[in-house]
Amino acid sequence: MKRNLPLLARSACFLTLLCALLLGVSYLFMPKNNHKSFGVSDGELLANGILGEKEHSIDVLVIGDSEAYSSISPMQMWDERGFTSYLCSTPAQPLYDSYRFLRQALGRQSPKVVVLETNAIFRPYKLNDYLLSRAKNLFSVLRYHDRWKALSVNDFGKQLDYTFTDDLKGFRYNPAVAAASTKGYMQPTDHQAAIPALNEACLQDMLALCRDSGAQLLLVSTPSTLNWNRARHNRIAAFAEKNSLTYIDLNTMPDEVPIDWARDTRDRGDHLNYAGAVKVTAFLGQYLQNAYDLPNRRDAAHYHSWNDALDRYRNIIKG
Amino acid sequence: MDYATCHDLIDAHYLDSLTTLALVAELEEAFDVTIPTVEIIPANFNSAEAMWTMVVRLQEEG
Amino acid sequence: MTSYCSLLYLAVFLPAVVLIHRILPQRLRWAALLAASYAFFWSVSGKLLVFLLLSTVSIHHFGLWLTVEQQSRDNQLASAAPPDRKKIRQRFTRRLRAILLLAVLVQAGTLLTLKYAAFFSTNLNHLLNALRLPVNVPVPSFLLPIGISFYTLQAVSYLTDVYRGAIRADRNLARLMLFLGFFPQIMEGPICRYGQTADQLWAGRPVTWQGLTFGMQRILYGMIKKIVIADRLNLLIKTVFNDYTNFSGGIIALATVCYTCQLYMDFSGTMDVVIGSAEIFGVRLPENFRQPFFSRSISEFWQRWHISLGAWLKDYVFYPLSMSGPLKKLTGAARRRLGNHYGPLISGTVALGVVWLLNGLWHGAGWHYLFFGFYHFVLILAGSLFEPVAQRLTAFLHIDRTCLPYRIFQTVRTALLVCVGELFFRANGLRAGLAMFRTMVTDFSVEPFVNGGFLSLGMDKYDFFITLVAVGLVFAVGLLRERGLSLREAVAQRPLAVRWPVYYAAFLFLVIFGAYGVGYVPVDPIYAAF
Repeated sequence: MKRNLPLLARSACFLTLLCALLLGVSYLFMPKNNHKSFGVSDGELLANGILGEKEHSIDVLVIGDSEAYSSISPMQMWDERGFTSYLCSTPAQPLYDSYRFLRQALGRQSPKVVVLETNAIFRPYKLNDYLLSRAKNLFSVLRYHDRWKALSVNDFGKQLDYTFTDDLKGFRYNPAVAAASTKGYMQPTDHQAAIPALNEACLQDMLALCRDSGAQLLLVSTPSTLNWNRARHNRIAAFAEKNSLTYIDLNTMPDEVPIDWARDTRDRGDHLNYAGAVKVTAFLGQYLQNAYDLPNRRDAAHYHSWNDALDRYRNIIKG
Repeated sequence: MDYATCHDLIDAHYLDSLTTLALVAELEEAFDVTIPTVEIIPANFNSAEAMWTMVVRLQEEG
Repeated sequence: MTSYCSLLYLAVFLPAVVLIHRILPQRLRWAALLAASYAFFWSVSGKLLVFLLLSTVSIHHFGLWLTVEQQSRDNQLASAAPPDRKKIRQRFTRRLRAILLLAVLVQAGTLLTLKYAAFFSTNLNHLLNALRLPVNVPVPSFLLPIGISFYTLQAVSYLTDVYRGAIRADRNLARLMLFLGFFPQIMEGPICRYGQTADQLWAGRPVTWQGLTFGMQRILYGMIKKIVIADRLNLLIKTVFNDYTNFSGGIIALATVCYTCQLYMDFSGTMDVVIGSAEIFGVRLPENFRQPFFSRSISEFWQRWHISLGAWLKDYVFYPLSMSGPLKKLTGAARRRLGNHYGPLISGTVALGVVWLLNGLWHGAGWHYLFFGFYHFVLILAGSLFEPVAQRLTAFLHIDRTCLPYRIFQTVRTALLVCVGELFFRANGLRAGLAMFRTMVTDFSVEPFVNGGFLSLGMDKYDFFITLVAVGLVFAVGLLRERGLSLREAVAQRPLAVRWPVYYAAFLFLVIFGAYGVGYVPVDPIYAAF
């Protein structure tokens, strides 16, 4: 053992230095702003727009995959209810990315409510990808290493400064229509769909994050004939009950959210289109405001940028 | 290269498989032995000396 | 786990096994390796694990059966009178042969069914259709036999070695399981012989500091080859090979060279990771590559590329076949007429043909693989046929065959021939391969390289630049090794102030310039699919 000690000390030294080096390089490779030209990837550009929002200015944070950014429009809620919300949703978001976006957002924002769109909970991923994601969170050079092609003098020793935010606050406007069949949609069953063990662990991590920052987690299933069914509903309902969470499934609320599957979906029931999103958002905005007592900030002076964005949003949805 | 003193004819890849085949045929004819497949291993063909030892052994077993 | 280059393998699995291995006393270390091996293979495929287990038990049994017969032969020989011995020998040889044949058929049969049933039934259907027969055989689909191609060759070599009396059958089932299923080599080889690794695996040597550091360095080097070079080239290769009709000869030539490079970096890089992993546990696996692109002939190339496969085919197909009764007679007769160069070549050719047929088929069921085998068969044969001519020609022209320019000429020629072979190897089918070859020859121009068209195929100028730098590094290391210098040992002798920066630089090189993450698709090791 005695002879091993110097070796152990030496390897500890080696690894510590390696970590320090990686951290240094990570800082170098981190995009110094959240604009696209600074090296943020296309898929994550809009979700990262939250970094450009004023600190502690967001009331509701939404996390999820494409279901979220197709169904929930923060600008509509701002218009109708006057509270602020932002969507950190990316295409086919694996739950470990949900966790990452949640953690990133909670570092600068203190939302009252975190809405998790439930579709991502069932998306399986490999243990290796999960580990890789954790490693990337630790050393961001692993995530942004490809920026070596575009590294500039500014990357050396410059402070982080985020100035980009999305006018739609993460929502993606899409008016296309492709009617869905509702055959077998939400057919009753007692069966419960399984949540992969890794996803369950990740969910618990997200719960803990919300608890620590004093945000309430709300589970929401947005309407989708392709992705949602009764077995998934049952599983999420059971999960919510076990963890004392609130769960609303808009697939089971045709009176409150009257989706017309012939008109309100853009790709045959996979995602809602703009018309569907309007219906979901109208209900959700009302629900959130009542259940969580959210303020109306429409006239507060320092939110004028949101009102400017609203004007541009109205132009976009006018077509 | 000196075939008399070289000790890694196979290991250093001087002999490829077709050449080895010719060599085996030559040895079999010259010394009237049958070299079975088991004997075709680098250890027996790496040097002239090793080949001679093998041939003598096979003759004795004959 | 589908890759030795994954974080899960390198950062979790391997360290865990090292830790357990270190804690256990020597006599139990084999158990750690065995458990790790089966856990590893289970993570690849649960179904294949069952196959592996059953198959290993059968190999164990067949080995012991051969030994029992050999012992009873030896007993009878000892007590028999000399004149009877020949008869006894013959009787037992027949029985031993039958047992070996049965055992090999069981092993190879499984592989054949898993790998080739679909190919043969599809082609049979084509034939039936062509003959206008209204019959169709069903095309079966089985699970992908990951690693089984390598495993089967190892199993057959074990059984044959027992049959030949080169080794004794192992009574210890656990040792045999470990020899056949050792986790670093189960997916892509190297194809080991029982005599090479079984005892080392069983010995339970301690994890030493040197083994650990050397192993990790080798792994790092392999990762650079695989992730910086091979995976980056993949972008261009996929674009061109999947859409070959849209490209001119120059681009196809570029893709061909890139693919040859990718295949080498992918396969030999994975081998570095494999051999490095084993080295950590004090197990020395046989090398699978020896700077193949320094070869001066195709024959030499195959002694340096995928060495363990070439050696296997040589020992278990080429020699047994060319030394079998009928071919030996042929050799004898031919030598008298044609002399000692061309005489043995005739039976050698027959055996070589079988070797290359098997080599092509082993890589997969597809006509382009068969063509690949045939191509190399023809090249090696031509090399051997023209060797005396070439000797005379160079002597006549007063060309010194040992001078550097001539050696470089030979090396470049060999590399180009290899590239053409790999074009067919990678092409999506033989027809695509032939079409690409035709385009490359008839429609070759340097235009895409002048107007920058080659930069729009998935790799930009930065990608090409960093690939060239990395290939240059690998080339330099290869050059050193050709001169008998080992970079690892040279670095290890330097003071810490030199060593550590070298390691850090290599690590950061991998992390920064690796082709992984957004924009890249992870590429599973190419040879795991064979």
